[in-house]
Amino acid sequence: MISKDLSIDFLGVRFENPFCLSSSPVGNCYDMCAKAYDLGWGGVVFKTIGPAHFLIDEVSPRFDALTKEGTPFIGFKNMEQIAEHSLQENLADLRKLKEHYPDKVLIASIMGSNEKDWTELAGLVEEAGADMIEMNLSCPQMTSHAMGSDVGANPELCRAFCEAVKRGSRLPLMAKMTPNITDMVPVARACLAGGADGIAAINTIKSIVNLDLNRKVGLPIINGKSSISGYSGKAVKPVALRFIQQLRSGEGLSQLPISGIGGIETWEDAAEFILLGASTLQVTTAVMQYGYRIVEDLKNGLMHYMEEQGVDRLEDLVGLANASMVPAESLDRDYIVYPRLDEERCIGCGRCYISCYDGAHQALEWNEETRRPSCNTEKCVGCHLCVLICPVGALSKGDVVMKPGRKGKAEDKSI
Amino acid sequence: MTTAYEEKISPEYTMSTVMEEAQRCLLCHDAPCSKACPAGTDPARFIRSVRFRNFKGAAEIVRENNSLGGVCAHVCPTERYCQAGCSRCGIDRPIDIGGIQRFVTDMERRLQMEILRPGAPNGRHVAVVGAGPAGLEAAASLRRLGYEITVFEKRERPGGYLRYGIPAYRLPDEVVDADVAAIERLGVRFRCGVTVGTDVTMESLKAEYDAVLVATGAGEGKTLPLFDGDSRVETAVAFLARVRGNKGRGESIPDHALVVGGGDVAMDAATTLKKLGVRRVTDVAYEEFCEFLASAQELEGARNAGVTIIDGYIPVAVEGKAVVFRHRHIDAELRLAADKIILAVGQKADAAGLGLAMNGNEAQSRDYRTADEKIFVAGDIAPGDKTVVWAVRKGREAARAIHSSLEERRSR
Ligand SMILES: Cc1cc2nc3c(=O)[nH]c(=O)nc-3n(C[C@H](O)[C@H](O)[C@H](O)COP(=O)(O)OP(=O)(O)OC[C@H]3O[C@@H](n4cnc5c(N)ncnc54)[C@H](O)[C@@H]3O)c2cc1C
Ligand SMILES: Cc1cc2nc3c(=O)[nH]c(=O)nc-3n(C[C@H](O)[C@H](O)[C@H](O)COP(=O)(O)O)c2cc1C
Ligand code: SF4
Ligand code: SF4
Ligand code: SF4
Repeated sequence: MISKDLSIDFLGVRFENPFCLSSSPVGNCYDMCAKAYDLGWGGVVFKTIGPAHFLIDEVSPRFDALTKEGTPFIGFKNMEQIAEHSLQENLADLRKLKEHYPDKVLIASIMGSNEKDWTELAGLVEEAGADMIEMNLSCPQMTSHAMGSDVGANPELCRAFCEAVKRGSRLPLMAKMTPNITDMVPVARACLAGGADGIAAINTIKSIVNLDLNRKVGLPIINGKSSISGYSGKAVKPVALRFIQQLRSGEGLSQLPISGIGGIETWEDAAEFILLGASTLQVTTAVMQYGYRIVEDLKNGLMHYMEEQGVDRLEDLVGLANASMVPAESLDRDYIVYPRLDEERCIGCGRCYISCYDGAHQALEWNEETRRPSCNTEKCVGCHLCVLICPVGALSKGDVVMKPGRKGKAEDKSI
Repeated sequence: MTTAYEEKISPEYTMSTVMEEAQRCLLCHDAPCSKACPAGTDPARFIRSVRFRNFKGAAEIVRENNSLGGVCAHVCPTERYCQAGCSRCGIDRPIDIGGIQRFVTDMERRLQMEILRPGAPNGRHVAVVGAGPAGLEAAASLRRLGYEITVFEKRERPGGYLRYGIPAYRLPDEVVDADVAAIERLGVRFRCGVTVGTDVTMESLKAEYDAVLVATGAGEGKTLPLFDGDSRVETAVAFLARVRGNKGRGESIPDHALVVGGGDVAMDAATTLKKLGVRRVTDVAYEEFCEFLASAQELEGARNAGVTIIDGYIPVAVEGKAVVFRHRHIDAELRLAADKIILAVGQKADAAGLGLAMNGNEAQSRDYRTADEKIFVAGDIAPGDKTVVWAVRKGREAARAIHSSLEERRSR
């Protein structure tokens, strides 16, 4: 079995591998975190710890899932707030975890309702043995508007709370961002100005996932009602990647230390976050669905990827794709790539024809005798809807042609 | 050009269809499929790797748990082992574990992955007699523990029934070649064309090596006295070995061939005859279908090839060109004229000259150890199922028995 060093330094802390549980029920207590460490997770962000005066009272049931055809959990909705265990229990668990797993990274997620809370909690978790603090500025379903994503959308409050945490503790500090905002950069900057050392992104997206059509109520139903609440899982990966890219494109933020979160299930997802600038990775929904064991394939697959890329240090991959993302107005619009048909592979289903007609430019012609499509390049705009639709990969990138009157050579294009 | 005989029968998955199949897997807790694999190949674990798109990791799991993982993917009677307890049966039908394993090991071969690594040399040297699946797995397991290994094989090439028994349309040469080559690259030395007991004695092996593992299999087809001296008659294993070698080229084609037997070997012989172009092939089995020995897949394969299968009859007499059968339970008689008769009525161990005390087809042994503390046995001549995957299991367990015995001897 391949064996490669996956360790990475993040905010001055060494992680034996970048894979961490994100703050949520998957890291709710000592036994859970211990099992996760034993199975190979590099770090744990413990379930968000709140102040003793904030009473947690959860609904039941508290989850829902978006599915499609045979795929379970395209996305996942939760209505949970922060830790259900008492402050004392949580601190005791942190202490025991650090004692039994000194080489694993233990991150305490905290959330206060005022500066005093934040300062106190920071001191308490440092004293309990945490290696790092993550500020939860982003839970979208708190019962208090002084907590959660309402705070995370307000740069001034974020800055003040970061300063408060820094007053209570000298540990490295991550601020966890809410995606329920148009531009994350001002919030991230405010956090950095307040003393945060890095950014964790993203928390869940406000959502309504399904409705009960007979009762005409959103799901899950809680005594006849429901609420807008956080969406996570594979479906949010594209949104998370976008925010991470936007953070790193901010003026002066090209080296911003990031812990990437949102929809990570496979090593390929992980590699994408790393290439866009994440040094560590956090996972919840995939663990809730499949268990801690997914870390085996996350780690092994990432090792094989590093081997294929000829990379020995994980940090050498961080941010390599950032420069490839440019504003839409900077893209080369001078050429068209026509689809090419592999006659051998085509099974004659005609899906490409339907989609090109109904969703593109009526460029595919359908031969009823042979049951094969052919491309009319007069009409084809090279959108490649057909390529994405074909169930057997019979359509792919074909001839590259310059648009009339444009300069440059088709063969020079990197398609 | 490949002959009709060589054409593969099992369809191959593509990247997207294998994901569809892997997606059907329920990723069970304490997975029944993994518990049911005799060799511990851990299907639940490699299917999970496929499911999470870690294809190379899947190949590592198969190979590290089973040095003949490529071969097993093609020939395992999965409906009796891993697929038998598959939880997915509670919904519809089991996961196609063999198919997923084929996809994974085919990919491993295409990418020329090098997964197995020898252990640090421990200065001890073991001789293995017989390069069938049991001998091959034992050799690989011992190399990984740091032993020097020399395998003695009487045929010209390693593989045993993998190369000289199971037909190429079910187990292509390249699959056997790849698994054997990986074991060779581990540093196992093969001395082919050497019959132990004739060309080299057991005594000399015992003198030269720290231990000797005998895995000579059951290579000889049984016959029935009724057919003694009949020039039309051949054993199935002799017939299959020859066709496997000549790929069906130059075989004389009879008009009507008769196969006697109802196991996998009989199905292979009958199907092979059809693939060679024999017009009428009739198989007569001792067992009735309700108690059939051949796997469902093999039976279906024979039927699809156009073999006529008659169950429940015993051959009782030969009258000229005709063979007369009587039904085992009903008062019924059957006469079949045939130009060629293939007997697939079981195989027997050929352990002559090896000095083993035999109990029928099995050597007298306990946990792979024999009365002689230097001699061990594995494969078809050891207790357990007579299948490739069991040969793998026995090979690995025998390797462990040798290792612990040598450790014991050293500490004495
Ligand atoms: C036609 C046929 C089809 C089969 N199909 C399947 C199937 O689909 N699935 C399945 O799981 N199993 C199948 N089997 C059974 C399977 O092949 C055997 O159980 C398995 O090969 C046994 O492994 P082995 O290593 O004990 O012996 P073998 O494979 O028989 O190998 C023994 C080796 O030892 C060598 N040898 C023997 N004597 C000596 C000597 N004195 N000196 C040196 N070398 C010697 C032989 O030449 C041979 O290479 C089939 C068997 C047959 C005959
Ligand atoms: C049930 C549930 C509870 C969560 N609780 C918290 C929490 O207490 N604190 C926090 O910072 N994030 C919490 N999150 C958000 C996750 O940590 C993570 O940011 C988000 O789910 C996206 O990652 P994923 O797609 O891997 O789940 C929770 C998520 C879920 C699904
Ligand atoms: S998952 Fe466990 S805790 Fe939740 S409802 Fe089911 S049994 Fe209860
Ligand atoms: S979608 Fe693909 S397989 Fe179907 S007709 Fe078009 S090219 Fe052929
Ligand atoms: S028993 Fe079947 S469904 Fe369960 S893990 Fe094994 S193959 Fe998958």
